[in-house]
Amino acid sequence: MAVKAFSDEWAQQFKDEVNKSSVYKSAAKGWKWTVGLVVEAEPDKNFPEAKGVVMDLFDGSARDITVGTAADAQRCNFVITAPYSRWKQVATKELDATKGMLQGKLKLKGDLPTIVRYTKASQEMTECTTRVPVEWPDEN
Amino acid sequence: MAGRKLKARPKTVEYADAEPSAFASMLGGLIEANVESRPEKQRDFGSLAARVGIFVTDIDEGVTLDFQGGHLVVHNGLAPRRDLTIRAEAGTVMNLSNLKIGLFGMPVYYDEVGRGVAAKLLQRKLRIDGLLGNLATLNTVTRIFSVQ
Repeated sequence: MAVKAFSDEWAQQFKDEVNKSSVYKSAAKGWKWTVGLVVEAEPDKNFPEAKGVVMDLFDGSARDITVGTAADAQRCNFVITAPYSRWKQVATKELDATKGMLQGKLKLKGDLPTIVRYTKASQEMTECTTRVPVEWPDEN
Repeated sequence: MAGRKLKARPKTVEYADAEPSAFASMLGGLIEANVESRPEKQRDFGSLAARVGIFVTDIDEGVTLDFQGGHLVVHNGLAPRRDLTIRAEAGTVMNLSNLKIGLFGMPVYYDEVGRGVAAKLLQRKLRIDGLLGNLATLNTVTRIFSVQ
């Protein structure tokens, strides 16, 4: 059943998908940093307030994924920022996250060599988001 | 005290354009972080003088890395007089920076990442112009670029 985008239920399903993924488990071995996704507001897309997704990832598993404020996400070791519609493009496979970062469509803050070392893990993480059926606020 | 002037140390990485593209900033940032944190990369960086273009075919964007023996200037786009030009898709460019470095400082092409890169070369989805005569330069750039 579809869940509301960037809701607590979405975060729980996303976490379950990450923890089900054997690809992620092996590609993210050794990862020990938090990742924050800042979803910027787009009132004209019925997404009026920014949100932050905080991912506590450790050694190939997601210990916790929660949705809070943008400021919560900005406190993470790695922060990726984009407007709501860009994240929607990523989650619906319209935009490849690696390409998005190289084009500046997704803005990354954090130690670059570390994130590049875990490219495969971040690609699989993106795949996990695409497996969660979502109700998008601009499609209601 | 004698007013001896200290010569300002040049920055490791500088950008030729007032507004570096996201790709230029990312590659420049990656190389800067690599060089400043890894002594073995500093040796390579200090000795390399070459102009290397990297063009990402699926986003239609390129940069030129102008290595000047201990200093790098990153240009948006492909600038003239390049010694080497690497053309590949975004994923392959990221994989190039994940190549492991093995014996004698040679990139490892027999593990999973290396085999993937070699396959792209064979399929011509990774093209390297100017390779003839610049193999040592390519290996040095790969070592500087590698995060492994």
